[in-house]
Amino acid sequence: MALLEIQDLKVRFRTRYGPVTALDGVSMHFEAGETLGVVGESGCGKSITALSVMGLVPSPPGSVDGGSIRLADEELIGAPDRRLRNLRGSEIAMIFQEPMTSLNPVFTAGDQIAEAIMLHQDVSKSEAFERAIALLDRVGIPEARRRASDYPHQLSGGMRQRVMIAMAVSCQPKVLIADEPTTALDVTVQAQIFELLNDIQQEFGTAIILITHDMGAIAEMADRVAVMYAGRVIEEGRADDILDQPLHPYSRGLIACIPALGKETDEEGRPPPLAEIPGVVPPLHLLGDGCAFKDRCNHRYGPCDARIPVLTDATAHPVACHAAEEGRI
Amino acid sequence: MTAILEVENLTVRFPMPKTSLFGPRQHLEAVRDVSFSLPEGRTLGIVGESGSGKTTTAMAAIRLTGPATGAVRFEGDDIFQLDDEAMRTRRRHMQVIFQDPYSSLNPRDRVSHIVREPLDLLGGAESDNEKNERVRELFALVGLRPDQLNLFPHQFSGGQRQRISIARALATHPKLIVCDEPVSALDVAIQAQILNLLGRLQQQFGLSYLFISHDLGVVRQVCDEIAVMYLGRIVEQAPRAALFARPRHPYTQALLDAAPSLARRKSAGGAKRQQLKGDPPSPINPPPGCAFAERCPRAQQRCTAERPELTEGVACFFPD
Repeated sequence: MALLEIQDLKVRFRTRYGPVTALDGVSMHFEAGETLGVVGESGCGKSITALSVMGLVPSPPGSVDGGSIRLADEELIGAPDRRLRNLRGSEIAMIFQEPMTSLNPVFTAGDQIAEAIMLHQDVSKSEAFERAIALLDRVGIPEARRRASDYPHQLSGGMRQRVMIAMAVSCQPKVLIADEPTTALDVTVQAQIFELLNDIQQEFGTAIILITHDMGAIAEMADRVAVMYAGRVIEEGRADDILDQPLHPYSRGLIACIPALGKETDEEGRPPPLAEIPGVVPPLHLLGDGCAFKDRCNHRYGPCDARIPVLTDATAHPVACHAAEEGRI
Repeated sequence: MTAILEVENLTVRFPMPKTSLFGPRQHLEAVRDVSFSLPEGRTLGIVGESGSGKTTTAMAAIRLTGPATGAVRFEGDDIFQLDDEAMRTRRRHMQVIFQDPYSSLNPRDRVSHIVREPLDLLGGAESDNEKNERVRELFALVGLRPDQLNLFPHQFSGGQRQRISIARALATHPKLIVCDEPVSALDVAIQAQILNLLGRLQQQFGLSYLFISHDLGVVRQVCDEIAVMYLGRIVEQAPRAALFARPRHPYTQALLDAAPSLARRKSAGGAKRQQLKGDPPSPINPPPGCAFAERCPRAQQRCTAERPELTEGVACFFPD
């Protein structure tokens, strides 16, 4: 049985353009000790999926209109706020993209971690602070005891993200959601953070949900991948399958458009021109009939305008695309 | 091939606040002794981590930051010696595209005016009609629609805003454009669109780019030659093919190793790589020897005592 299972999740938002469906029947499952990568551009519903799991969809204007989220057989949708508050931090924890804005600037790093520990465990303040120091040491902050009394602005970006991770793993959560954890960081620091997340996963058997728009990060971190577009999962499978044989035109585009190292080059060392996905993600209130990707797709044909494609098992791995289902691409 | 921009021994020092009334004033050397030349119609990439001085180098090279010493020759003239008016007229030939398309466009200005402004400030004798015509032409060039001319920046997506920035930079027919991380704030799909657009425009107008980025993948895509900076100095400089095939400086090697790659899979055991520990040293009172020595796997005694000069494209006593 899956550790965490999302089924047919629907989230709507009231906007000035009328109600829009931010998540339309999203299903995913997460296993202990495994990393699921959730990929897509901004506005595809990746972060809303994460916030739903945390029970943090802002309401109003948002509302969870259906589906279920089960953590080890416990239904989270409709669970009392008290219960959700208990789960957040202890069972499910989250690290955000921008560590500077998610840390409180007027408390020291050690105090903030100690606060998280004291919320969930019955320990004294000094004991919590000692544990915070141990955690800072664990996430690779040099001179942890001294750094524990530093304020966030005294730390570098990489160290701030390490503090966030220390806080997130302070109660050994079963599920760790990492929402673009390295987008604001240098590549060298990104490599360090990825390694740290992998170490933590091995040590505690944490299920990691990695939200990113970078297929390079997916290659390095993910065991399985769910590709999202306009509030739906449009392709899912093992990371290797998706990277080597992407079926959906959008997944193919996402892989072809990154200027990653390791692609072929000509004799001058010039890589081939980048493939483009034309256009942008459509605003949710302007989604017409049929496939949401059709306007950006070069495999569009009859059924794409008529019906929204659903995930099918008829292909090598599940994909929601008429053309792929018919074997046209 | 003639160089459009030649930079010689560029150094930028910022004075720091005094720590005590009688103490010595400390200086932060953001850029130290940097030299390079950019041939016309080509792209020079500057890569490095945050704090390595890459943006300061580029901004000093077009006299947008001071106090800089050294010499910068733009089409043969030392721009540090030009008076203000002469510099102002030169500005039409050197333009900038900034990293953040949200903060680099005035939110209260219609985009047609944003794109037209360089023509008003730096332009020649064009009439109003000619200027408006030029703005329409620029819009078409960067892939925006004429019906979007009178909108405000917030009505555009990040990628479209970056297109507006590019149109603005192109307005005065510049020869050199400094691209300061032009795609790092964008989604990957949009990033590809913008990089391809920059490539097309370069071909069409023979533009020269000074391209700043921390992303080696992006740099390989667009740059003919690449300078790697570390703590204010160039530590390695080489043509694209050589740098990516045979990086010689241990820092360049570490950067390449850290860059995400589709080939490095978790299923293959997530190949442990040579990893840099820690952060670069402080640019205030930098160490006397090689700045990279304390993070370098190859460091020996000599490295902490003496500073390696940039010779044959690499500043290292023990290059590969």
